[in-house]
Amino acid sequence: MTTATATPLAERMRGIVGAGNVLSSASDLVVYECDGFTIEKNKPDVVVFPSSTEQIVAIVKACVELGVPFVPRGAGTSLAGGCLPVGGGVMIGLAKMKRILEVNYRDRYAVIEPGVVNLWLTNHLKPQGYHFAPDPSSQGACTIGGNVATNSGGPHTLKYGVTVNHVLGVELVLPDGRVVHTGGPVEDAPGYDLTGVIVGSEGTFGVAAKAWVRITRNPEAYRTLLGVFETVDDATNTISDIIGAGIIPGAREMLDSLILQAVEAAFRFGFPLDAGAVLIMEVDGLDAGLDQDAERIIEIAKKNNAREVRKANTDAERLLLWKSRKQAFGAVGRLAPSYCTQDGVVPRTKLPLILRFIQEMGAKYDLRIANVFHAGDGNIHPIILFDERDADQVKRVLNASHAILDECIRLGGSVTGEHGIGVEKIDFMPKLFTPDDLAMMVRLRTAFNPDNRCSPHKMLPTAGACIEQSKAGRRAAL
Amino acid sequence: MNETCYIDGFGPLPIVKPDGVASLGDLIRQAAARAAALYPVGGQTSISIGAPPSKAGQIVDLRALAKVIDFPARDMTVTVEAGITMKHLSNLLARENLRLPIDVPHADCATLGGILAANVSGPRRLGYGTLRDYVIGISALNDEGNEFKAGGRVVKNVAGYDLCKLLVGSFGTLGIITQATLKLRPLPELQTVLVLMGEPGQLEAILTSLHVSRTRPVCVELLNQAAARTVFAEAKLAVPDTSWVLLVGYEGNADAVAWQVQQLVKEVGKQRRIDGRIDFTAKPLCEAVVELAALPMIETTFKASILPSATAAFCQQVDREPQRPLVRAHAASGIVYGHWPSGLTLAQAASMLTTWRDLAVQGQGSVIVPRCPSAWKTTLSVWGQPRPDAWLMREVKAKFDPKGIFNPGRFVDGI
Repeated sequence: MTTATATPLAERMRGIVGAGNVLSSASDLVVYECDGFTIEKNKPDVVVFPSSTEQIVAIVKACVELGVPFVPRGAGTSLAGGCLPVGGGVMIGLAKMKRILEVNYRDRYAVIEPGVVNLWLTNHLKPQGYHFAPDPSSQGACTIGGNVATNSGGPHTLKYGVTVNHVLGVELVLPDGRVVHTGGPVEDAPGYDLTGVIVGSEGTFGVAAKAWVRITRNPEAYRTLLGVFETVDDATNTISDIIGAGIIPGAREMLDSLILQAVEAAFRFGFPLDAGAVLIMEVDGLDAGLDQDAERIIEIAKKNNAREVRKANTDAERLLLWKSRKQAFGAVGRLAPSYCTQDGVVPRTKLPLILRFIQEMGAKYDLRIANVFHAGDGNIHPIILFDERDADQVKRVLNASHAILDECIRLGGSVTGEHGIGVEKIDFMPKLFTPDDLAMMVRLRTAFNPDNRCSPHKMLPTAGACIEQSKAGRRAAL
Repeated sequence: MNETCYIDGFGPLPIVKPDGVASLGDLIRQAAARAAALYPVGGQTSISIGAPPSKAGQIVDLRALAKVIDFPARDMTVTVEAGITMKHLSNLLARENLRLPIDVPHADCATLGGILAANVSGPRRLGYGTLRDYVIGISALNDEGNEFKAGGRVVKNVAGYDLCKLLVGSFGTLGIITQATLKLRPLPELQTVLVLMGEPGQLEAILTSLHVSRTRPVCVELLNQAAARTVFAEAKLAVPDTSWVLLVGYEGNADAVAWQVQQLVKEVGKQRRIDGRIDFTAKPLCEAVVELAALPMIETTFKASILPSATAAFCQQVDREPQRPLVRAHAASGIVYGHWPSGLTLAQAASMLTTWRDLAVQGQGSVIVPRCPSAWKTTLSVWGQPRPDAWLMREVKAKFDPKGIFNPGRFVDGI
């Protein structure tokens, strides 16, 4: 797209949303050239900020008329290039549609606009003792519209589910400008679960203009434990045994020795530096019954050779235990100038195997790899440390990342647990899915987005797509 | 093949029973070539749901596809073929102290594929959700007889479109489900049901107090007198003499369940009578409630989906109608069933359906007719008015099944 065609496009957009809600200068657009996946960059021709469904419809219809692609964007915290404007065109920024339209506690739902930040909703619900369950670590910035697009997870997914389990309905502006309203606050609406496939479609089905989401009561109480283990195997076996005993902890975070050393160097929590792994385990729910669960967890950890198990007895102690986990990322910054992460998944019992494999890849490619992740669901986030100024290192990082993801597939897992396919992992789709699988996904997309004008070249491999994928360009985030 | 069968008076349709995915694929290709239809069935426990078939063809009995593909119990997932019965599956899971927490009537006949297609659920959906929350991978055969899958075998996975969601509740209209991978839950240490008695004027007050209760029930089942009488008789228990009965279920570890029972008694016990059934004495009652929908004496069933806050008023209203049904509601989920034994006339059913639908609109919901005599289906609209997104559903159907092979005519809006 050249500037010559971009200007009339910008004018057209100004006519719809007003001059103050359109960005078209090169310096403004540079902010929107990528999301958290920074290696692929492309500026949109124009960024538009609608404030209503009607304006989204007008924008989309103008795009159809002018033959330009468009892509929706929330806060741009996604990590796989989901809102990369491939082929330029119009970026529909939803940040200004940020109203919480309705909260119904009796019927346990809220209606929100797509630009509502995840944590705002939870904060809004807090006085009544409710929250919005999906809590990705970007929840202070990411929008619920973005959560709907990527089917976001977070640390509590094993017990509480991911975004799709909490979305009841969507108002979607289709790529031809028609508006469709799927699902809603009433359960079991007759017909296909279109809401269920819209969630996680990474913006390729249209632009979500509104969502009906379930709101969840807060747990009454927590018990937080921290176990120190000799080996990663002992820690992962502990998790399997806890879940096998019928206890599903709300959160289970694992830190390996490299992370521990970094955390210890930075904050001095008093972790033994020779420990293989630390596990933070938290059970939540009704106060009654939690002590029974906590005692069982201590017993199981000890049986798996835990060197010690610390239990938080007060809120202050609980916060201190969590601090070691929450500051792990800051601590990683001390270890290397750059780092990137991956988002593979394996069946939970294969965690020791994949972690050993990651270690081997670290040795093979001469890279330091640290691990801190939500252990219970088998979703790994190996943090590969490197120096991006060193081309050879970057190449080794890429090779190691690919090898790790291939191994996840071999172990019966997936290449993305929560970050999405976007543009970054398109090349892995044919490794996970057969041509018949992919053909059916294309059929589904065609029902919503027949001309592939909305978020083109995302998620599904397209013959002749000119994007080179999978570079080590992403910042780590969990 | 000599065996034949009717679906809603349409037929006779020959029954074919493929012995595996390959022969099922052949059947689909043959049907496509002849422009015929295929009506997939399992144990036929949900066969009464839907409009009559619109095209000649065959019934495909999938019960021979019943293999357990993979059961890594410590990963808390299982991969099985669709023809496995729910009884067989739950026995298998229970050996590892696991379960799929979905209430399925006639579990000895109902197959996994059938309950997935019909999206069967029961009282405990309040505590555990529905099938869409448990299917993490699915395989099906498409209109060309080729197998396709979505999802995988891990509990957290966002690669590709989630066709699991699309196929669950699709009534076999988009492809034939052959296999599924399920996320599982541990069996609870303890189950308890508290029986609360209520009079008409008190229902909303009770439901509101349960809504704000410190306890976290896994089910809140509301029964009118006729439904309670049937359920308690089936469970071989004395029938409570009150016009409404609420069954409030708790599950979990022993400490948590015991505390919740005491707590609920403290919260609502002063105003009304409560009877507790703990552990094994709770089981017959739970089973009877789940089986209520499937009792052979029931000839006609309506199902309303409304806002939970509208449930008490809705139930009391339909309980006042002249042909009073057995009313049972998953009250905290806004799902209300009315069951009638034989004796209802078409005219009475039609008038009642109008009443139900008018009331449901006030609760932002809708009413379907999951069961009624086949002959009525030309008069009663079993799926009700198409929703505003029905055109997009037809679009999806057209992409998945352009030749109209799979269950034509039976689903919403003529799909």
